[in-house]
Amino acid sequence: MRIVEVDPTSCVACRNCEYACAFKQTGDFDIKDSNIRVNFYPEERACIPWTCVHCGEGWCMEVCPAGAILRNPETGAVEIDANHCAGCKMCLLACPSGSIHFDKVELVSKKCDLCGGDPACVKFCTSGALQFVEEEEAYSFRRESLDNKLKRLFGLNKRGS
Amino acid sequence: MPERETVQTLCRMCDDRCAINVYLEDGKIVDIDGYKEHPWNRGRLCVKARAAVDMVYHPERLLKPLKRTKRGFEEIPLQQALDEIAERLLAIKDKHGARSISIWKGEAIGFAQEEDMARRFVHALGSPNYFSNDSMCYNGRYFGYRLVEGSWPVPDYENSRCVVIWGANPPHAHPNMTQMIMRARKAGAKLIVVDPRMSAIARQADLHADLKPGTDGALALGLIQQLIETQGYDREFVEHYTVGFTELAEYAKAFSPERVEEQTGVAAAVVRELARTIAAAAPRVAVYVGNGPEHHENGINNIRAVACLDAILGALDREGGNRLVEGFKANHLTLYDEIPLEHLGPIGADRFPVLYGFRQECHTMTGINTILSGEPYPIRAMILTAANPALTNPNTLKVREALGSLDLFVVRDLFMTPTAELADYVLPAASFLERVELHTHAKYQRITMTRKILKFPDVQDEYQFWHDLAHRLGIGEYFPWEDETELTRWILEPTDISLERAAAHPEGIEYTPIRYRKWEKEPFNTPSGKVEFSSQYLKDLGYPALPEYKPPAYLESPDPEYPFVLITGARKLIYYHSRFRNIKRFRTAIPGPEVELHPEDAAALGVADGDSIRITSRIGSVEVPAKIKSAVEILPGTLQMTHGWKEANVNLLTHDDRFDPISGFPLMKAVEVQVENV
Ligand code: SF4
Ligand code: SF4
Repeated sequence: MRIVEVDPTSCVACRNCEYACAFKQTGDFDIKDSNIRVNFYPEERACIPWTCVHCGEGWCMEVCPAGAILRNPETGAVEIDANHCAGCKMCLLACPSGSIHFDKVELVSKKCDLCGGDPACVKFCTSGALQFVEEEEAYSFRRESLDNKLKRLFGLNKRGS
Repeated sequence: MPERETVQTLCRMCDDRCAINVYLEDGKIVDIDGYKEHPWNRGRLCVKARAAVDMVYHPERLLKPLKRTKRGFEEIPLQQALDEIAERLLAIKDKHGARSISIWKGEAIGFAQEEDMARRFVHALGSPNYFSNDSMCYNGRYFGYRLVEGSWPVPDYENSRCVVIWGANPPHAHPNMTQMIMRARKAGAKLIVVDPRMSAIARQADLHADLKPGTDGALALGLIQQLIETQGYDREFVEHYTVGFTELAEYAKAFSPERVEEQTGVAAAVVRELARTIAAAAPRVAVYVGNGPEHHENGINNIRAVACLDAILGALDREGGNRLVEGFKANHLTLYDEIPLEHLGPIGADRFPVLYGFRQECHTMTGINTILSGEPYPIRAMILTAANPALTNPNTLKVREALGSLDLFVVRDLFMTPTAELADYVLPAASFLERVELHTHAKYQRITMTRKILKFPDVQDEYQFWHDLAHRLGIGEYFPWEDETELTRWILEPTDISLERAAAHPEGIEYTPIRYRKWEKEPFNTPSGKVEFSSQYLKDLGYPALPEYKPPAYLESPDPEYPFVLITGARKLIYYHSRFRNIKRFRTAIPGPEVELHPEDAAALGVADGDSIRITSRIGSVEVPAKIKSAVEILPGTLQMTHGWKEANVNLLTHDDRFDPISGFPLMKAVEVQVENV
């Protein structure tokens, strides 16, 4: 399956992703409705985007007493069925990364469903900090950035310019 | 089942023109997302793009011509509006001469070939008076680079080892440039950001130089000084391809890191580190200058000093540096060769000869004075197409008075704006989804043709409007093409790209392959044919030949009555200048104007976040809610307020009589102000 990979070293906290997600959920730009959240810490100059990684054995799925959280067989996304959600908030507590939030109007829990396999946050991330990638490829940019450093170190002399 | 269709075109909610998929159901646009095959945006979009759906079907959209009457604006038939406008233009031409008629081109609906249509029209009519928003954005950088390098190059981000973003905030102003910068960083490039504020792009900077507003030249000269002193410059390039190096080196000597620190506030150690970082990456240093340095009284020379870095580093037109763009050799609509009108005294050409000489543009702020004074000759009519100077030009009250006093003021726009409210006729303009036109992405040397997807009955595209008016005014011979498609066919005629081929390639067509180091064979587009550190052209016009630095007025002679310095016009992602305040969900995200300030200043004033404060300059006063930033995001004593809000219009404060002497750009990013808690 594919997941949304986040890269805090590229994110500029522009909030395109939050707006795009909120729009998808409600038609409005209230970032509280977004299933992806971006935190910006000015003192540390840190931009941290985060959303659900659709865990193999989702604790939210396990804990849900209503059996409202299920895996979508097509996309692999862990999804909440709003019609069955009891609004007990157990999943918010269970999720280790805080990727579920509570909708106080509809009184149900909300989370990322990968937009059915074409996530809006990724399409509207203009820095490229968000990528929609096969899970086994996720975070390979970490390796690539090391490769690039090595490439520069050992490849420099060959470069004509 | 509704009939579904997907077509590709370019977004023009801002001037970046990202490629989009437009989804239609029964001919109505229902959604927009990114088109993956175009290299500019690779399928990614900012959230403005989707709002085009809301914009074109907006309930407030102008769809009928309006005429001012005693009872206010009233709808009139399109043909009658054009007849009346033509009749009144001819009467004004008879009475005051053709040059009393002017055109003002804006940003709102998109300009590439539309700009040239407006220029063609006004020249065909016999007037040299073409004004545009470029007098406030873009031209300044173009002049700075053109004077030094012969044109404004594009940063070759992806191949660079050091990206320098100078007074620009791509995530908000050119969103998809951000992915290019981040690709460079992923491949190991360093990112340097020069900006008084911690802008969005500065959040990822390896080095952020938060200089005092308007001191850019001192920093650039300091870097030049360091590069020369440490032998970190490209001796061979400088020797063979430049003029004025000895003079520049001599002049830059005075800009030691310590002197730079004293001027800019950037620590001497940081200046040294900046110089070391770019020297280590040379020649793969890509520099992008934004609108920040333009709006200062020494703006152009500051930009020239930054431009000199390209040549000193040998980064000019080298892979990973700043590449000189090869133009698309198509037919041009302008009539400057056929009907030169310089002898008629284009407004501002005497005061700002570079502005007219390089861009054939008149000076908007002088134009406003001319309308009011009738000197040196009357300007009595104006057709303004999708600009909003009543909010965006400096000294709003004067702008309104002038535009409101014209004998004939015609405005074309998508919506009623504060500018359109002053008009005699307001005509509905076509959005980018209703026009066929060519756009060049200079960075990729690619042209892409847009598609006419929608049509509203009384809404004319730009070409149809100029065509219909020209034919009523006896200058129809200059507008012989039946419609914009035929016009576009003519534009493409001398090229090997046909209209049909352009239409078949929504990913664009590379019109000429990208080449580097063209200077090995071709001269630079400067008078000497070389890079000009020192400009005889400027010297002959009475300007300094070197990119000399002058400290901004608020530092050189502080005004105790106005102790704060106000930066105006920082970009916001979702608002494009004064546009899109009527998109409802945008208002949820950013509900209204605010002024950014430092927490220490807020504390001293006793202001809490969201409190209203009054800002006063020598020109005027506004009240606006305070936005207290963190101490690292803005310099103490400095405020920032974004333009384009009629609820709190920052241009009630800005000066329309303090300019950069070369470009005529107004001082808008270092305005002395007083601040009070109300
Ligand atoms: S859109 Fe991308 S860059 Fe912008 S906040 Fe989201 S993850 Fe960060
Ligand atoms: S940056 Fe945004 S508004 Fe500008 S052209 Fe691209 S998608 Fe459209």
